[in-house]
Amino acid sequence: MGYRFDFNAVLSNWDYLVQGLWVTLLVTGAALLASLVVGLIVGVLRLSQNRVLSWISWAYVELMRNTPVLVQLVWVYYCIPILTGIDFSVITSCVIALSLQAGAFVGEIVRGGIRGVDKGQVEAARTIGLSSFQTLYRIVLPQALRRMLAPLVNEAVSLVKNSSLVSVLGVSDLTYRAQVLATTTFRPIEIFTVLALEYLVVCALLSYAASRLERRLAVSD
Amino acid sequence: MNLAVDISSLSKSFGKNEVLKKIDLQVEKGHVVVMIGASGSGKTTLLRCVNVLETPDRGTVLVNGVAMGDTGVDGSFIRLSERALNQRRSEIGMVFQRFNLFPHLTAIENVMIGPVMARGLGKTEARTLATDQLARVGLADKLDSYPSRLSGGQQQRVAIARALAMKPQLMLFDEPTSALDPELVGEVLETMRQLAEEGMTMLIVTHEMEFAREVADRVIFLHDGCIVEEGRPDVIFSNPQHERTRSFLRRTLRHRMGFEATGTDSPEK
Repeated sequence: MGYRFDFNAVLSNWDYLVQGLWVTLLVTGAALLASLVVGLIVGVLRLSQNRVLSWISWAYVELMRNTPVLVQLVWVYYCIPILTGIDFSVITSCVIALSLQAGAFVGEIVRGGIRGVDKGQVEAARTIGLSSFQTLYRIVLPQALRRMLAPLVNEAVSLVKNSSLVSVLGVSDLTYRAQVLATTTFRPIEIFTVLALEYLVVCALLSYAASRLERRLAVSD
Repeated sequence: MNLAVDISSLSKSFGKNEVLKKIDLQVEKGHVVVMIGASGSGKTTLLRCVNVLETPDRGTVLVNGVAMGDTGVDGSFIRLSERALNQRRSEIGMVFQRFNLFPHLTAIENVMIGPVMARGLGKTEARTLATDQLARVGLADKLDSYPSRLSGGQQQRVAIARALAMKPQLMLFDEPTSALDPELVGEVLETMRQLAEEGMTMLIVTHEMEFAREVADRVIFLHDGCIVEEGRPDVIFSNPQHERTRSFLRRTLRHRMGFEATGTDSPEK
């Protein structure tokens, strides 16, 4: 092995890299929260009795699932100002694009979670006079949420990874900063190794937290 | 108006399968009416049409004189608006074969949620009400247990308390003991017997012939979507007029005596 690893380039720029981590977490966190809202709406509409609503939701999911995330990011960044006349900052457009994309997947998770709840639960709720909305949020969703937890964590993990694409639009997240350092220090291998490790740590922590939460929820079962 | 339930020429099909054929059925206030019949005879569907968990195709359903649906010019049954239906349903208690307790709520929360959400009752009042209802079914010591920690019989009694908490005028029971282990059947039947003695109007689908004989004011035998025979339990059980009733009773009674532990009939769908 002729190559000699030298992590000094990483260590001396540590603060710069870690600041990128905050940007990554901010973008991911904001997109995750927004995607839960989008997903809840998409998932519930998909199960609606109304054909038009459920078709719109289906079409949305297919559109988001079958186009590349990078294309969606670029499209939202350039086209939303043209279509709406509103100029968003780069970070905002990135969060919008990522939440729309993840929202489609969350929508499928919500749909699966709701459909997994026994029909008898809905019937029992209706016979004691709960409205369909009350039935949804007091009876069905709390039970669906437990089934949804594991797939939602998977979705959050993909979101963390997909967020690296915002570097293409010049958002100075973890990946962007790594690219900058790689070209200025001529140590791309070390820098990208550490970059990979950083993503690994974030995603692993996320999965760990979720398994803890899942176990706590299981206690009341 | 002395009828708790007044059903006339009710029909219902699932696809091509005609499950109920022009059924007429009346239940007087304060009476206990038991529906018996083989699985697939339509008795569960008929019960579910009373609170419109199944929408009838045609015919009318009156509960305490109030229509559960509108009637079209051609006699078809038209569903009421959500709001109207909810309001009417909240006065009809229903107990299911598979209990259908809410697993994420404790026993007392299961009983409280109806009065709180549908009636707008305050939490404290609802708690008192729920405690009373659970005591009524003998579960005063299980208020904070989750359903998964309760036996089948206890779960079914919580389900009865949940229905009672809405102060229903009428209680519907859909094979309430069919999913229970044989040794747990008695406690649920005892609770139902007690309700009958208190004067609750009850419409019950069951295979518990002994219970029907003791508690029912009237027994109805359904076969193939029609009411074949109805009358007082002593008459139906000891001197059935119709051959179909006779053969059904013969099979059921022999079956019950032969293998006590058979238990679960699959629900007819």
